[in-house]
Parts: sequence; C-alpha cells; structure tokens
Amino acid sequence: MIRVEQLRKNFGTVTAVSGVSFTAENGAITGLLGPNGAGKTTTLRMLYAVMRPDSGNIRVDDVDAIADPHSAQGRLGVLPDGFGLYPRLTAREHIEYFGELHGITGASLRQRTQELLDLLDMNAIADRRTSGFSHGERTKVGLARALVHSPQNVLLDEPTNGLDVMSTRAVRTIVRRLKEEGRCVLFSSHVMQEVSALCDSIVVIAQGQVVARGTPDDLRRHTGQENLEDAFVALASGERRA
Amino acid sequence: MNFGRSLRQIAIVIRKEIKDSLRDRRALWSIVFSVSIGPIIIGFMMNRVADRQREAEQVRVPVVGMQYAPALVDWLRQQSGVQIVEGPQNPEEAVRNQDEELTLIIPKDFAHTFNQSKPAVLQIVADSSRNDARPTVERVRRLLQQYGAEIGSLRLIARGVSPAASQPIVLEDIEVSTAQQRAAQILTFIPMFIIMAGFVGGMQIATDSTAGERERGSLEPLLVNPAPRLVFVGGKWLAAALAAMASTALTTVLCAYLPRFLPLEEMGIRFRIGPEHITGIIGAALPMCLFSSALQSAVATLARSFKEAQSYMGVLVLLPMIPGVLGALYPLGNAPWMYAMPMLGPYVLLTNVLGGQPPAINAFLISAGISIVAAAILVRITATLFESERIIFGR
Repeated sequence: MIRVEQLRKNFGTVTAVSGVSFTAENGAITGLLGPNGAGKTTTLRMLYAVMRPDSGNIRVDDVDAIADPHSAQGRLGVLPDGFGLYPRLTAREHIEYFGELHGITGASLRQRTQELLDLLDMNAIADRRTSGFSHGERTKVGLARALVHSPQNVLLDEPTNGLDVMSTRAVRTIVRRLKEEGRCVLFSSHVMQEVSALCDSIVVIAQGQVVARGTPDDLRRHTGQENLEDAFVALASGERRA
Repeated sequence: MNFGRSLRQIAIVIRKEIKDSLRDRRALWSIVFSVSIGPIIIGFMMNRVADRQREAEQVRVPVVGMQYAPALVDWLRQQSGVQIVEGPQNPEEAVRNQDEELTLIIPKDFAHTFNQSKPAVLQIVADSSRNDARPTVERVRRLLQQYGAEIGSLRLIARGVSPAASQPIVLEDIEVSTAQQRAAQILTFIPMFIIMAGFVGGMQIATDSTAGERERGSLEPLLVNPAPRLVFVGGKWLAAALAAMASTALTTVLCAYLPRFLPLEEMGIRFRIGPEHITGIIGAALPMCLFSSALQSAVATLARSFKEAQSYMGVLVLLPMIPGVLGALYPLGNAPWMYAMPMLGPYVLLTNVLGGQPPAINAFLISAGISIVAAAILVRITATLFESERIIFGR
C-alpha cells in the first residue's frame, strides 16, 4: 500500500507538484492520470526516492519513504519513464543484476529469473544482448528486472507508451496478475482508455494537483460527462482556467 | 546502513561494470592500442638510434685527392672500422644528393703546406641538416683532429718542446650517475607510459558508467535499487580503478620485455625491469590508479553529456604527461614535497625505482596516502553529485 500526503516539489520557481495526496491500496490498480507535464513522473520519482519532496509524507506499506528511502525502495518495483538498458548485457543479466542488488543470490535468483522469463514470454530473447531489442522487448526487460524481488508495490510510469497492441496486452496481463496476487499497482498514463480499462481507482492530476479521484464511474458522475475522455478533458482544462 | 550488505552490493556493481566494459570490444582494443603504442614506438626509435651508432663506428670515408696525403690516408686506414674509398667526381653534389654522407677533400697543396709546418687545409663536405649522417661526420672529424694532434705533438718533440706545454688545460669528465641512472634518464618515458596507462585504462569505465549510464537512461532504474549512492559510485570507481591497474600491468609487462629486443648494452645502457622492481612499481602505480579513476569519475559525472565527458577525458589525459615532459626536459630530482603531489609523486617514485635507487618506504607511504585520501575525497564528492537531482536527470 502506498499513501501520499500533501506532496510538494518545486524546480526553481516552477512548481511541479503542489499538494498531491492519494492512497493506492493493495490488491488494486490505481491509475495516475494526467496530461503531459501534469506532475505524474515527478510524483512517482518522489515515491521511489530518486527525488526528495520539498514537503509532504510518503508511506510505502509501513515505511516512511522519506526517512528511510532504502527500505521503501526494497518494497517497490519500478519501471521509470523512458528507462534505458545496458546494450551489452543480455536480458537475463539485466534481471540478475537487479536481483543481486536486492540481495537475491544463487539458486533462488536463477529460479526467480526463469519464472519472470516464462511469465513475460521472454525465453527466446533471454540470452541475447539488448542492443537490438524492440521497444516491446525492452519494456519486458524493464518490467522483469523491476519485479525480480517480488515487490509488494509496483510503480509503472507510462509503461505502455509507444508500445504496439501485442506488447500493451502483455503489460496489462502482468498488471492484472499483480493485482490478483494482492499487490498494490500504481500506474501512470495520459491515455484515458488505458486507465479506464485497467484501473480500479483513478487519480487525475493536472498542473501538479489532484483534481479528481475515484472509480471511473465516480469521475463520470463528478463531471457530468458520459464519456470518460470528455470527463478527463473537463477536469484537466477546468483546473487550467481556475 | 548495513555495512556487509553494502560491500556485497559494491562487488556486484564492480562485476557488472567490468563485464560490461569487457564486451565493449572497440573501447577495449583502443585501450590496448593506446597503452602499447608508446613502448612500441620507443622500441623502434631506440633501435634506429642504435643502428646509427653502429653505422658511425663502421665509417666509410670517400676521399678525393688521396695521392696528396698518403701518410694521412694510411693512418686513417689503420683506425678500426674505417674504410677508405675513392671520392666522387663532384663531392658537393654527391653529398647534396645524399649519395654520400660526407666526402673528405685533400687539396693539391696539402703536402706542400704540411711539409712547411704550416696549417694544411682539409675539407669535409657534409650536410649538417642531415641528422642521420651526423654521427659519421663527427667520427671523421674526431679522427682528423686526433691525427692533427698526434702530428703536432711529434713536431713539438722534434723541436725539443714538451707537447704538454701546448695543453694549458685538460678537461676531465667525472660521471657520477650509475649506468642504471643514466638509463633511467634516457628512458624517462617509461614511468610516464606506466602512469599514462593507468590514466587511459580507467577512462572508458569512468565515463561509460557515469555520463554514459545517465545518457542511456539506465541510471534512474539503477538508483531505484535499495543502496546508498556511495555504493553505486564506489563500485563504478573501483571497476574503473581495476581496469586502470590492469592496463598499468600490461604496459609494465611490455616495458619489461621491450629491452630484450633492444641493443641497450651496445649503447652503454643497462636497463631492465625485473622481479626486484615489481613491488616498487605496484607501490607507486596502484594508488595512483585509485586516484586517477576517482578524478575521472567525478569529472565525467559533472559533464552534461557522454560526448562532453569524453572531451574532458582528452584534457585530463594531458595531466600525467606533465611530469613526464618536465622530467625529460630537465631532471626533476627528488625533493620530498614531490612525493606529496598526486601525479608527480608516483612519477618520481617510478623513475627512482626503475633507475635502480628505490626511495625509502616513507616516500611510498606518503605518495600512496595522498593518492588514496584524494581519491576518497573525490569519490565522496561524486557520491554527493549522485544525490543531486540536477545531475541524475541531466540539466
């Protein structure tokens, strides 16, 4: 479970995140929805402790992520936005590298790596260097290494951005599976359909603030728009006018 | 922070960076090439110098007008390694066209003037812009001066004067350096090569694992792993330092084998790198590798892009050349303060070790201590930079 309270972050004079609060429950998929530049990535970066918030609280399970970032990171599996791979390492080596950094070794590391390769249908590319990988294959590697330590909480920053239909489906399958396992999945996207199809709960962010939250149905009711995309536009631009 | 866990994580990072860099064949070969090219070129150059010296001992002297000074020609023939041949028709043109290195001309009136005990003229036709002919010309000039001196002494004796009277002063050279020291002076480039190798060897990992890692976008996911930044920075630094040490070892081995293929004995130089030098080389060079890799990692982390980092490396590589170039221009000596300078200390240590005069253990300890402390400070700075969001996410 992830609980965020009054998160703030400025870059110089620019306010990127201004008082974001939400809770992402276990066994549920929470969508962080917002237009480009709304503060989704910055919020997530503070969650996985590569950025320090100016103020606010973050709890990952029962860990204070600001006071004890490494314990929080141990409970998080993260697929950052626009992440990169090591072109000269194989897919398997990527998974094993992160597994080792999480303290998994020997037979259990090999077994867990194989599990992920099977799960993501990556056996054909497991021992190839990643330099020639397609975007879909790269995303799979990124996902697999994020999940190597079986984290209770999974943060995915625009994971389906630019993916083809097949790869998008593969990602959704994994996300649903993580939910079934009782994990907490926090998923960011700027694509309405994606979020409404997948998420149990949606947090809409615009201009660094939470402008709405609830189930997809709640959002429709809240804005009075039948179509969820219209609801999203109403929320995002409504905030901008204010 | 769990210390044992951090150490394990550092080892994991080191292993990954080393594996990664070993697969970068192009970078690997460029390191091997750049650390071996120096010793190999020097090998060729030394061989050429030796060849020329050998040539100078075996001189071929074309003489025009042999019949005018048969005694002189006979005397020359008796000197070892001198071969007298008939001179060319047009001596100046032959020398200018490089058909001959020199030509000795004995003018027609040589015998006449000589017999009158007046200075008799001999002409040497030579091209002073030709470096390769210089030893030969020098040798011939010395032979002729020696002949002149001998004749002069005989003339004085014939007149009842001691030849010593015409020699108001005698210059005597007292050489204080041992043969090994002279060798070290001539071979000052070897310490420089060893230090350069340490510098070049760690460069690829130092840039690829910092500026390169960020540019690829693999830094952010890496930093999500639960470890202090010092762990990542430390691992990357030590991986670079290990590569630097490996390339230092490669250059040292090359330099150790080089003299076997060089006619150093002929040139009056005794130089070898043997087992007795190994401890000294390790003591001088390895702490330097820790320092240079730390410096490179810090600079590469500050660079805005991989390209920028690489161009900074091009500037940094001039650093280890400074003491080498200075040392070649004039002997640096070994004042105690030198050991306390990060790049200079190891250089002076290596020069003395290879010169057969290993400095006291204190000098090693000071130099190593300074290198390690400087490295620790730089690594600490780099780790702080890794905490900075501006550095992690670029600017």
